[in-house]
Amino acid sequence: MMRSRTPWVAGLAAVSMLALSACSSNGDTPADASSLTVWVMGDSSANFDTLVAPFTKDTGIAVKTVAVPWDSIDQRFTTAVASGNGPDVLQIGISKLRTFADSGALLPLDETTIADYPNLAADGFIDGVAGDATAIGGEVVSVPWVSDTRVLFYRTDILEENGITAPPTTWDELRADAKVLSDRGVDQYGYYVPQWDSSLPVIMTWGNGGDILTTDQTINFDTPEFEAAVDIYAGLYADGSVPTNADFDQTQGFTSGITPMVISGPYLANAISAAAPELEGKWSVAPVPASVDHTSLLAGSNLSVWGKSGNTEGALKLLDFLSTPETQLAWYAADGQLPTSKAALADPTLLSDPITAVYAAQLADSRLLPLVPSWDGETGKALLDALNSIVLTGADRASTLDTLFQATGDTSVS
Amino acid sequence: MRPRITPYVFIAPATLLLVAFGVLPILVATFVSFTDMNLAGLGDWSRISFVGVDNYSQLFGDAAFWQAMRNTGLFAVFGVPSVIILSLAIALLLNRSGSRFFKALRSFYFVPAITAIVAVSLVWGYLYNTQFGLFNYLLSLVGVGPVQWLSDPTMVKFSVALVAVWRGTGLNIIIFLAALQGVPKEYLEAAELDGASAWRKTVSITIPLLRFAIFFVTITTVIAWLQFFDEPFVLTKGGPLGESTSISLFLFQTGFSASKFGYASAGSVVLFAIIAIITLVQLRARRTDVDY
Repeated sequence: MMRSRTPWVAGLAAVSMLALSACSSNGDTPADASSLTVWVMGDSSANFDTLVAPFTKDTGIAVKTVAVPWDSIDQRFTTAVASGNGPDVLQIGISKLRTFADSGALLPLDETTIADYPNLAADGFIDGVAGDATAIGGEVVSVPWVSDTRVLFYRTDILEENGITAPPTTWDELRADAKVLSDRGVDQYGYYVPQWDSSLPVIMTWGNGGDILTTDQTINFDTPEFEAAVDIYAGLYADGSVPTNADFDQTQGFTSGITPMVISGPYLANAISAAAPELEGKWSVAPVPASVDHTSLLAGSNLSVWGKSGNTEGALKLLDFLSTPETQLAWYAADGQLPTSKAALADPTLLSDPITAVYAAQLADSRLLPLVPSWDGETGKALLDALNSIVLTGADRASTLDTLFQATGDTSVS
Repeated sequence: MRPRITPYVFIAPATLLLVAFGVLPILVATFVSFTDMNLAGLGDWSRISFVGVDNYSQLFGDAAFWQAMRNTGLFAVFGVPSVIILSLAIALLLNRSGSRFFKALRSFYFVPAITAIVAVSLVWGYLYNTQFGLFNYLLSLVGVGPVQWLSDPTMVKFSVALVAVWRGTGLNIIIFLAALQGVPKEYLEAAELDGASAWRKTVSITIPLLRFAIFFVTITTVIAWLQFFDEPFVLTKGGPLGESTSISLFLFQTGFSASKFGYASAGSVVLFAIIAIITLVQLRARRTDVDY
């Protein structure tokens, strides 16, 4: 902290300087048909380099992969927009798609543009993210890449020891089971609510048969189904079934058995296998609980082409290569991220693993969070702040929810 | 004419750098603060429009902004005296001997200042962890229940500030140690001949002669705490519920997570004004001071 220019000053300064310099230069990436720069999300580019090696061999286009940590993508993208100098292809988390698309920096991928690339056709991808499902303002600017969903992880051994023979299928059952499990002793809980996960209350609302969008595509939390979701959310805390500390570690909580149930994505499975391989066979996954629809979150990442890329053709070739079922399956094997290609998701080898089969089934019944201008920064944050202040600091429920309804009420998807 | 130009030539590089990286960004931020610039506006300038003082009026009505201001005030009130008193005390103690052991201690105290903040915060994050942390384990040994270091709304402020105090002392200890070398031995010897105790010598001779060092450390420490950012950013992301969000972190979140550059710029102008006023007040107070 001491005496260093804090990042916001440096960041805002960088933005302003780059914005200024953008006036004088055209900022285009130099046109070069023999190479592509790709931004992939994460801490390492090694897996991706291996994945695209056959592409480089076939086409002679060298791919330079830059791994961008999730925490710094906003800054990287902002700087790229301000300067006009971006990569050729970039991975965009779906929750950021709207914000990034609004910047106008992404190449529109309309039917004529992708006509020569059969693997990019919308009907090849799972419906929830394909084509118009992720169009922003009627314009498709990305193609699906990897998918992610949420399922219920549970410790079969601990549930059985406590007389619970099957995973809960409704939220009421889950609450009851969580209560039983948290009665195991001091510092033992039944379930874990990540305080940063804004999709959980939405999944609960969907599970109750409701929606957080009105028919005219604006956000509306003021519904009986959402109220019922708040009942569940607050009820878990009221029962003492969930840990209240913000620094609770999801993976450690699950492997140590402190929280034997949690709703999470496939990445948790990888983390469990890495941290506690000895638990193999002592945990499993099930569809998310629900009283009406077992609809879960559909998340993941899409790929976009930078509008000012000097090698649009090469970029589209790369997207086409990455969308083939073979490449998507190879990526799942290497990196553990689920495919978005329908053909890849129907692959018998993929489905032979019972856990992956649950993911695939849940993916078929999953929905995107509404593509509002800023889910992470505003709508989702407002939702989490409201719920967490009710359950953690005892804020008045009715007035807190009223504030939430008013703050988010005029947020529109279109 | 030549002699007149000379001083300007000498200060030109520093001035140019200051203008380019200090004054210009502030001017640009002031300009942006009167617009509704966001990511869309950044990509296509025609989509930016002037909104007058809307950003400012919205900012002053924003509960999250005031929460961040309150937190920052609290951080500064707790952090500044802690850093100054602690580093001065440690420097005075370290200065009592020039032995090899004390020299090793000097490096020991300086290590936190040069360790990467992310590494520091990760380690502290593990120490503070409610379930698996060392602190709560040690407390459990003496029969004290777990403390929610980073989850309790009040505790989190002190937990986060403590890491910053621990990191902030290192450099200031070096500054104080350097200043202590400048305290004339004659004064101390004279006082000793008069039979002054070690405590009396410290209070009446050493500390008054360290005035300028203390003044410098105070100003830089106050500014650093008003810009407090790294520790809450890495340890808590400002949570829970904004309880450890400093004003800098608030600006970062509105600017880069929510892409509201106009709004964030308005906030940064306000922060700049506050820092400028506080620093001017401190400098003015110093002007009446006597020099030895």
